Amino acid sequence: AKDVTMPAKLPVNFFSTRSPVIDLFRGQLDYADQLRQDSEIVLYFFYAPWCGQSIAAREEIEHVASRLSDQVLFVAVNCWWNQGKCRKQKHFFYFPVIHLYHRSFGPIEYKGPMSAVYIEKFVRRVMTPLLYISSRSKLLDFLSNYEPGVVGFFEFNASPQPPGYLTFFTSALHSLKKDYLGTIRFGVVTDKRVAEEISLVHSGSVYLHRHANTSLIYPKDIMNFTAENICKWALENREMLIRWLRPHGGKSLLLNNELKKGPALLIFIPYNPLAEIHPLLDEITKVALEYHKCNKSQAAEADLQHVGDSDSPAFDSSVTDGHLKFSETFPIAKYPCCNTVVLPQWHSISRTHNVCELCVNQTLGVKPNKVHVPHCNFLEIEAALDSFYLQEHTFFQVISNTIECSNFLSFYSPFSYYTACCRTVNRHFLSFISSEKTIFQTPKVAFSSHGKKDNTKFSIPHIEDRNCFIPDLNISSTNITGLSCRTNKTLNLYLLDSNLFWIYAERLGASRSTHLKEFAAIVDLKEEVHYVLDQNQSLVGPTLEDFIKNFSVLYSPLKRHLVDDPSAHFHEEHVVTEVTTSTFQETVFLSAKNVLLLYYAQWCGFCASLNHIFIQLARLLPSDSFTVARIDVTRNDLPWEFMTDRLPTILFFPHQRKEQSVKFPEDFSVNLPNLLKFILHHSSLSSEPCTKECLHKESVLQQGHISHLEREIQKLRSEISALHQAHDQLEAQLSEARREEQRLQQQKHTLEKQHKTLQLHSEQLQATYDQKNQELLEMAEKLQELADASENLLKENALLRILVASRGGKLQSKDEIKEPLQSEQTLSEDNDMSLSTATAALEEKRIDNIDTIETERSSGNRTE
Amino acid sequence: AVRGPAGPGLSAACLCRRERVRAMFYHAYEHYLESAFPYDELRPLTCDGQDTWGSFSLTLIDALDTLLILGNVSEFQRVVNVLQEGVDFDIDVNASVFETNIRVVGGLLSAHLLSRKAGVQVEAGWPCSGPLLRMAEEAARKLLPAFQTPTGMPYGTVNLLHGVNPGETPVTCTAGIGTFIVEFATLSHLTGDPVFEDVARKALKALWKNRSDIGLVGNHIDVITAKWVAQDAGIGAGVDSYFEYLVKGAILLQDKELMSMFLEYNKAIKNYTKFDDWYLWVQMYKGTVSMPVFQSLEAYWPGLQSLIGDVDNAMRTFLNYYTVWKQFGGLPEFYNIPQGYTVDKREGYPLRPELIESAMYLYRATRDPTLLELGRDAVESIEKISKVDCGFATIKDLRDHRLDNRMESFFLAETIKYLYLLFDPDNFIHNDGSDFDVVVTPYGECVLNAGGYIFNTEAHPIDPAALHCCRKRKEEQWEVEDLMREFYSRKKTKKFTLKRAPDHGEGENAKDPEDASSEKEKRNSKKSSHSLLSCPSQSFNSKLAVLGQVFLDNT
Repeated sequence: AKDVTMPAKLPVNFFSTRSPVIDLFRGQLDYADQLRQDSEIVLYFFYAPWCGQSIAAREEIEHVASRLSDQVLFVAVNCWWNQGKCRKQKHFFYFPVIHLYHRSFGPIEYKGPMSAVYIEKFVRRVMTPLLYISSRSKLLDFLSNYEPGVVGFFEFNASPQPPGYLTFFTSALHSLKKDYLGTIRFGVVTDKRVAEEISLVHSGSVYLHRHANTSLIYPKDIMNFTAENICKWALENREMLIRWLRPHGGKSLLLNNELKKGPALLIFIPYNPLAEIHPLLDEITKVALEYHKCNKSQAAEADLQHVGDSDSPAFDSSVTDGHLKFSETFPIAKYPCCNTVVLPQWHSISRTHNVCELCVNQTLGVKPNKVHVPHCNFLEIEAALDSFYLQEHTFFQVISNTIECSNFLSFYSPFSYYTACCRTVNRHFLSFISSEKTIFQTPKVAFSSHGKKDNTKFSIPHIEDRNCFIPDLNISSTNITGLSCRTNKTLNLYLLDSNLFWIYAERLGASRSTHLKEFAAIVDLKEEVHYVLDQNQSLVGPTLEDFIKNFSVLYSPLKRHLVDDPSAHFHEEHVVTEVTTSTFQETVFLSAKNVLLLYYAQWCGFCASLNHIFIQLARLLPSDSFTVARIDVTRNDLPWEFMTDRLPTILFFPHQRKEQSVKFPEDFSVNLPNLLKFILHHSSLSSEPCTKECLHKESVLQQGHISHLEREIQKLRSEISALHQAHDQLEAQLSEARREEQRLQQQKHTLEKQHKTLQLHSEQLQATYDQKNQELLEMAEKLQELADASENLLKENALLRILVASRGGKLQSKDEIKEPLQSEQTLSEDNDMSLSTATAALEEKRIDNIDTIETERSSGNRTE
Repeated sequence: AVRGPAGPGLSAACLCRRERVRAMFYHAYEHYLESAFPYDELRPLTCDGQDTWGSFSLTLIDALDTLLILGNVSEFQRVVNVLQEGVDFDIDVNASVFETNIRVVGGLLSAHLLSRKAGVQVEAGWPCSGPLLRMAEEAARKLLPAFQTPTGMPYGTVNLLHGVNPGETPVTCTAGIGTFIVEFATLSHLTGDPVFEDVARKALKALWKNRSDIGLVGNHIDVITAKWVAQDAGIGAGVDSYFEYLVKGAILLQDKELMSMFLEYNKAIKNYTKFDDWYLWVQMYKGTVSMPVFQSLEAYWPGLQSLIGDVDNAMRTFLNYYTVWKQFGGLPEFYNIPQGYTVDKREGYPLRPELIESAMYLYRATRDPTLLELGRDAVESIEKISKVDCGFATIKDLRDHRLDNRMESFFLAETIKYLYLLFDPDNFIHNDGSDFDVVVTPYGECVLNAGGYIFNTEAHPIDPAALHCCRKRKEEQWEVEDLMREFYSRKKTKKFTLKRAPDHGEGENAKDPEDASSEKEKRNSKKSSHSLLSCPSQSFNSKLAVLGQVFLDNT
C-alpha cells in the first residue's frame, strides 16, 4: 500500500452542455482550429479546471456568449489535461487565457478585466475594428472623443478596394494586440468632402487627431505603409490628456510609474464600456482638454463645443476645425506647427521654470520652391524638438516675465527654422493676483516685438488667455484653460473605473457609506500627501475645475487628507482607549487627563505582543486622571508633527503640558514597572502653593488611592482564594498520594509475608525432598540387598534343583526316602513370592519421588 | 460547533469560502478518526492509517487547536480527554527531535493555553500547570538527551525510551537546531524549569557562532565537530524555521539579541540571495548562486517579513510566488526560476501551508483583495485536485496532478487553519487587544488572550501574555505595587516631594538598581538608531499598493 498512487481525475465538462460556449474539455486543440474556419470571429477561452480565476471568468464568458453567440464563436479549451492536445502544444503561465481571431488575423490576446462588459466591448472592437464615418457630424463626434482617434481616407469608387485599405484595417486590428485597453480608435472616411474637413486630399492618407498639440498625417514617404508601422506611429504620437488606469491584478509598476511623473489627479467613476453615452466622462474630458489647452485655443474650443453636444446641427464653418480657417486665411503660411514644452527646472530649489512654445517656422530663411508641406508633419515637429533640446540650455536662463522668442536653425534641414517663444513662470505668479495686470501686459508687448512670423495670432502663447488673469482675489475665477502649462504643479489626469478599482478610493479616504461610487483625489507621491475632493459635493465639471485650481495656486487652500478608520467608531468603550484621526485632538489634547499614547499597527509583531501590558497598565492607573490610549497608524493618518516612523512608539502627554509630550525611550524594554516609572517621572510635579482646589484634588487623589488599594485587596483576596484552591488541590493530591503510599506499604507487607511463607514452604519442601531422597537411597540399598538375597536364593534354588535332580535320580531306586524332599519344594515356592512383592514396592517408591519434585518446582515458581 | 453571526468585516464571498474551508476540515478530520486513528496519519487513497513521525496519534494532536479556531468546543474537550488517556511517550520509537517538538510539544502547549477558552475545566494552577502542559513537558524531556553534544546543537533523532542511539548520525539540518526557542521558552516560563530555554538558546548561539564570514548559514552541520556538511545557504528547506524562530523568539521574549541576529542574517540574505524579489540558493562562504530555484517551503518568508514591518518587500515576493501557484494549481517543492518549470523529482505538492500562511499575515497588514484571491485559488485547487473519498491526498506530481497515498498532519494543523483565518477576520486569533481575559492564578492576577498570538512553525498559537503569568509574575508584582504606592504618595505631597524625598527612600532605592541596569542597556544599544524590537511604519505609497501594484523604493 506504500506506493499506491492515483492518476488525476478525468476531465469533465467545465461549461454546462446548454451553454452557448463550445467546451472542448479534453483539450482538442486540433478540433478548435477546425472550428475557426467556419466563423469570422472566434473567441478561445483556454482554462484549467482547478483554477479559481478560470472558474470566476466562466460566468462572465457565458454572459458575453449569450449576447454575441450569433456573430461570434465561443470555444473553451481545457489546456491543462496532460493527455490533451492543447496542453502538449501550448505553454501557459496563467489561466484563463483569452484569444480572439478576426478571420485569419490573430491571436489577439485579451488582457483586460475579467468582467463581462469589458470583454464584450473588446470582442465588439475586434468585430469592427474600423468605424465607418459617413458624415461631417460623425467625424466631429469621432474626433471630439477624449481618446485618440486615427482616421483613414479611402475612396472606394475606383477599385473594389482602394490600395492600402486592407493595411489600414489590419493596423486597426494590430493596435488591439498592443493596446488591449483599446484607447486608440480607428475610423475610415470614404467621402472626399468629409475628408476635406481634416485636410485629407489623397485617398490612402491617415490622420492622427490630437487636441492639445497639432494633429499629424502619417508620413508615407518616410515610413513604409505597413500595418505595424501605422499602429506604432499612432501609439507613439497619441495624446494622453487623460488616461484610464486598469491594473491587471498581477505584480505591476503601473501606479509607481505614473505617480512618479508628478502629482496626479485620480478620478473614480463607475464606467460601463458598453454604454452609448457617458455624460460624466464627457464632462471630465472637457475639463481635461481645457486644462491642457496650452495652444491652439480655437481648435480645442471647437472640439469642446462638440463634446456633450454631439447632435448639434450647427456645423458651420465658424465652428469648424481651426486648421481649415488658418489655411484659408493664410494660404501661403505654413500650418502652424507648434508644441508646448515645459522645461524641467534646472535647479531643484528654483522658484521658476520656463515654458516654451516651439513652432516650426518655414517663413523664415530661404524657402525653396519645392517645399510644400501641407500639414504639420510629426517628423518635423520631432526634429524641431530634437533641435530644441540640443539648445535647451539657452532657454534655461531666467527670462523675466516677458516672452522671448528666438529663431534657431533646424538641426536637420538648413531650410527650416524653428521659433521658440519662452517665458519664465514664477512660482509666485499665480499668487500675486493683484499685480498680474502689469506683469502680463509686458509679455504682450514683448511678444509683438518679436512677432516676425505671419501666423503670430495663432501662435499666441496660451499664457495670455484673455480672461485668464482678471485681478480677482476669488481663486475660483482663475481660469482652468491651459492651467497645466502655467503652473509648476502640473497634474496628470487619470480615470479609474470604480466598479473595479474602488478599493483605491477607499484607501484614499472615500467614505464607505456612499452608494454613489464617485471620488476624486490628488496624489503627490513625492510630497507624500494627497487631497480629496469634498465628498459632499457631487463630482461634476465645475467642482473638479475648482479642485484643480485650488491645487495649482501657491498657497493652496487644500488640506492634506487624513484617512480615518471608520470601523473604529463603532467599537464600544475599551480599557485602552482607541484613538482615530478624528478623535485624536479630543482624546489627547482636549482631555484634562494625562495621556499615554501607543502608536501601533495590528500587523507589527512587536506591538501585538505588548497588548497585555497596556491592558494591565490601564487597569492599574486611576481612570479619572489617566488615559491609556492607542492609535493604529496604518488606518489613521495624523498631522506630520505627530507622525512616527517606528512602531511601537509610546508618547506621554502630561496633563496641562500637552505640548511637551515625551517619548518612552526606545532602548528600555517595555514592561509594567518601566512604564510606571516613566509616567511617574514625567507626570506633573508643579510646586504651586496648595489652594483649596489643590486640597480638593488631593482628596480626590486619596480617594483614588483608596479605591486602588481596595481593588488591590480585592485582587489579593481572589489571589488568596486561588491559592486556597491550589492549596486544596495540592492537599487533595497529597492525601491521595499518602493514601496511595499507605496502600503500597500494605501491599509491600503482604508481599513480604507471602514471600516469607513461600520461602518457608520452599525450605520445607527442600527438607522433605532431602528426606525422601535419603529414604529412597536406603530403599535402594535394601532393594539391592534383597536383590542380592534373591539372587543367592535363586542360586541356592538352582543348586537345590540340581541337588534335587541328582537326589531324585538316586532316590528313584530308593522310594522309601520320598517324603522329606516334598517339604523342601514348598519352601522354594515361598521364596519366589516374596521377591515379586519387593519389586512392586520399589516401583511405587519411584512414582512418589517424581511427585515430590514436581510439587517443589511449582512452589518455586510461585515464589518467583 | 456553531459560531455566532458573522461580524461586519465579512463579505458574503468571504463567508461562503470560510464555510467551504470548514467543510474541508471535517471531511478530512472525520475520515481520520474513522479510518486512521490512533495512527499518526491518514492514508487517503487506501482509507487506513500509518505511523509516520512516532506513534502518538499525531494528526489528532496537530488538529486540536484548529478545532477551537473553527469554534468546535465540544470536540476539543473530547479530544483533550482522549489524548490524556491514550498518548504514551514511553515508547521505543526513534523520533525526529524537530518534528516532535513543533508538532507534539507545540500542539500540546497551544492546546493547554487555549483549553480554558475552549471551556475545559482547568485546575487551579492554570496556566502554570495542567495535564496537557505536563504531557508537553514529558515529551520535551524525552528530547533533551539529543542536546547533550559538545556544541550544544542537538542530534536530529532521538529514541524516546533510550535517548540518542549509539551510532546516530551527528549531521543535523540548521532548522533542526534552531527551531526550539518558541516551544522551549514557553515551557520554561510556564513550568519554571529553565532547562528547556537554556538548551534552545545554547543551540541558537552555536549556529550564530558558526555562520560564515559573509554572514550566512548552510544547510546541514555536524553537531560534534561544528563543520558544515551541506553549504547551500538560502531561506528554504533545511534552514527556514531557524530564521522564523529568531524573529518569533524575539517577539515572544522581547529579546533584542535574537532580533539583532536575525537582522544580520537578513542583510546577508538580501545581499547574496535576493534577485528580482526571488530568493535563490548560494554557497555559504562565497555567496555564488548554487541553485536558482524557488522552494515551496520558502513561501513563509513574506509572512515573516510582514511581522517585522517589511510589508512592501513581502508583497513583492509574495506576488512572484503567486504566479507559480497560478501556473500549476499548487507550489512544486522546487521551481526552477529561469526555466519557469518544475525541477525533476521535486514536482510534488503535499498541500503545504506556507503561501497561505503568508497570505494571512499580509492580509492583516494590507487588506489587499489579491490575498483573498490566493485563498480562493487554494480552496478551488485543493478541492478539485486532491479531494478523494477518504480525505485529501498529497499531490505527487503537479504536472499531471497524480495523487499520493498520504495526508500530512500539517494539512489540518496549518493549511486549513491559515485558510480559515484568512477568510475569518473576526476570529479570536486576530484579536487586536480589544478583548482579553483576566485569570486569577496563585501567582497573581493575569491578563490573557489579548491577541498577538505567536504561531509556532506548525501553526500552533502561543499566547505571549501567558509567559508573564507564572513565576516571574510575582517579582514584577511587588515592584509594581511599590511604584503604585509612590505614585499616590508623591502626588499627595506634591509641593514637598523634593524635600521629603528621603522619606520615600524605599521606593527610590528600589528604582535605583533598575535604572543603573537600564543605563547599561542604553549604552549597549546606542549603536543602532532605533530599537531593534520595532517595525517601520508604512510609507505613504502603501495606501495604493494593492491589487498587484508595487512601488519602488524612493531612495
